Amino acid sequence: MINDEYFLAALRLAAGSDPIPGHVSAAARDAFGLRVSQAVTAAPADCAATRGVRGGDGPGMVRFVAAGLTFDLEVTVGDGLIDVAGQVFPHPGEGSHVDVRTPHLTLTRRLARTGQFAVTGLPPGWLSVVCHRPGLAPVQTRWVRIRP
Amino acid sequence: MHEPRDPAELLKAAAEDDQTAWDQLESRFGPRMWAVARACGLNATDAADAVQGAWLRLLENLHTIREPSGVGAWLATTTRREALLIIRKEPPGFPSFDVVHDPDPATVVLEADGSRLLWKTVSALHEPCRTLLQLVATDMGSQQVAMRLGMPVGAVGPTRIRCLEKLRTLISLQETVQ
Repeated sequence: MINDEYFLAALRLAAGSDPIPGHVSAAARDAFGLRVSQAVTAAPADCAATRGVRGGDGPGMVRFVAAGLTFDLEVTVGDGLIDVAGQVFPHPGEGSHVDVRTPHLTLTRRLARTGQFAVTGLPPGWLSVVCHRPGLAPVQTRWVRIRP
Repeated sequence: MHEPRDPAELLKAAAEDDQTAWDQLESRFGPRMWAVARACGLNATDAADAVQGAWLRLLENLHTIREPSGVGAWLATTTRREALLIIRKEPPGFPSFDVVHDPDPATVVLEADGSRLLWKTVSALHEPCRTLLQLVATDMGSQQVAMRLGMPVGAVGPTRIRCLEKLRTLISLQETVQ
């Protein structure tokens, strides 16, 4: 009955009886600060290993590919927080680093020689990784939602 | 007073790093996106995620929206898509991200600037539909609606379905005329 629900939602919207919470509006406005100038966005790519990141049932893999770079993210949800172990390959070059971002927190990591990095204790919700490469456009993964 | 800025103009300004323009897009379309997420049956936490997700998709596509003047509809459709992914508990990133256009009149009403049209159409309905839908819009429970309309509680649900059907028919006719 989603169509009826749509009509009812439109009526409620017109009547102002279920207004958008202030913190949702504020988060949307703050999201503007998350844009990365000139960034290339890496789309999700299917591969045998990237199945079932649903949280709670052990780690899951997500792969993103763009601009000759592949991001493999292994995401674990435990105790209400997110851990990410990732790898960027081929190695984007000396001086590269990644920002692992949520709307509320960004953690920066230098890449190991293998292109690997790890962060722990991120809040659940939306997540994206940006790889900054000297002299080249940054590459950002699409935002993914991770919840327990 | 300044005239409200056109959505296409706001999108262009936001793409050129204008936070004020982004804020105005949020003011204009945020309430409707919230209504879309709630219409999909999401609780407040998940609805907040769906709305936030749609704004993040807009950030990813700031320079590539095909019809800038339709950014409001794009945001609403994207919110619905994120909401449905949350409901289906899809793994992140799959299936591929394509905005599907749904011609259903209910979707059109909510995803376009249709609130005024909708309210006008409700006002044109005969009783008990007019009052019933106005009461339902304020989230009044079935028992209170029944009392106000002087009908048995058990009749509220079926009458509501009939009234929404009438509303849908009228909206469809207006869409056809336009």
